[in-house]
Amino acid sequence: MGIAEIAISQSPQRLVAYGLGSCVGVTLYDGKNKTGGLAHVMLPTSRLHSTEAPPGKYADTAMSAMLAEMLKAGSSLRGLQAKIIGGANMFASLTQNSVPIGLRNVSAIRQVLGEMGIPIVGEDVGGTHGRTMIFDLEDGRVEVRKLNLPPEYL
Amino acid sequence: MGHEPEIFNDFQLDALREIGNIGAGNAATALSQMVGRRVDMSVTQVKVLQTDGIAAFLGGMEQNVAAVHMPVYGEICGVSLVFFPLERVGELCGMLIGKKEEDPANLSEMGQSAIKEVGSILTGSYLSALFRLMNLQLIHGVPGLAIDMAQAVLDTVLVELEQKEEVAIVIETKFLENDKQLTGSFFLLPESGSLKKLFAAFSKTFGFSGNG
Repeated sequence: MGIAEIAISQSPQRLVAYGLGSCVGVTLYDGKNKTGGLAHVMLPTSRLHSTEAPPGKYADTAMSAMLAEMLKAGSSLRGLQAKIIGGANMFASLTQNSVPIGLRNVSAIRQVLGEMGIPIVGEDVGGTHGRTMIFDLEDGRVEVRKLNLPPEYL
Repeated sequence: MGHEPEIFNDFQLDALREIGNIGAGNAATALSQMVGRRVDMSVTQVKVLQTDGIAAFLGGMEQNVAAVHMPVYGEICGVSLVFFPLERVGELCGMLIGKKEEDPANLSEMGQSAIKEVGSILTGSYLSALFRLMNLQLIHGVPGLAIDMAQAVLDTVLVELEQKEEVAIVIETKFLENDKQLTGSFFLLPESGSLKKLFAAFSKTFGFSGNG
């Protein structure tokens, strides 16, 4: 999955985002229908930006677009669970005097999910290293891979 | 994936390669002074790539790299990156500080500084060769180092530029010291507004206009 994209699929498919840096991968999972969505979010908010951008680019628009697609695919809001992966701060030289963009992405996503009432059941965020994530729609499990570390499962 | 945008024509790519050669010559002089031995450098490839093709150029999205990042400001704004394949970084440290690093994923302070320094030298040399000829003013910021997957570095830089896709000018450089040979790739990713300015200045300097 590319940057700023949103995908919805069903078991036995898997959804994969390679090399998340300060971007954040957000999954929504409906265990009853074995349906899930993955959004590869770049920036915290669509305010102050042009409306031409794809909805997946910003936390707020990405979450509403993904939720709408999940509902369209037959899921109910109540059955959804979210996981958040990414939001690293890879270049300390970039963020000496400010909150790193990766963390701002993570808090924006937490806020939107909170407003929607979707529980966050797993997260691996922040830190200084990039992540690859593999979302298995059979059971909603997310494999997270980092440089030179064994994979972790959320 | 990974298509090459036809922004430069062949004549302009030749000009870019020539600029690369000048930059590589200056970088080799600076690097030889730094290490106190002769190091030669030459340009092996010059390309213009869309960002979705950069990871493939570097060996894949999960290819482990050492990346030196520097912000670029002035008449052209953007980001420069220099990538080294991680499995050769230990040897590169050997070339630079006379002590090979055993674990490139956990470099010593000195190893990290050396990689940042060589990244700065390459960036400074290519940028000044490029912009002096075109009469553009620019400066670059402090170098930062990341050791990670190629795609995670690109992901972070695209967020910084707030673009989901960018065009990058790529100059691949070979380092030679005696029988040792290493490769580093320099990338310039101009912000979208700066890209137009860069091509305009380039076309003005080299006469022919591009296709884009």
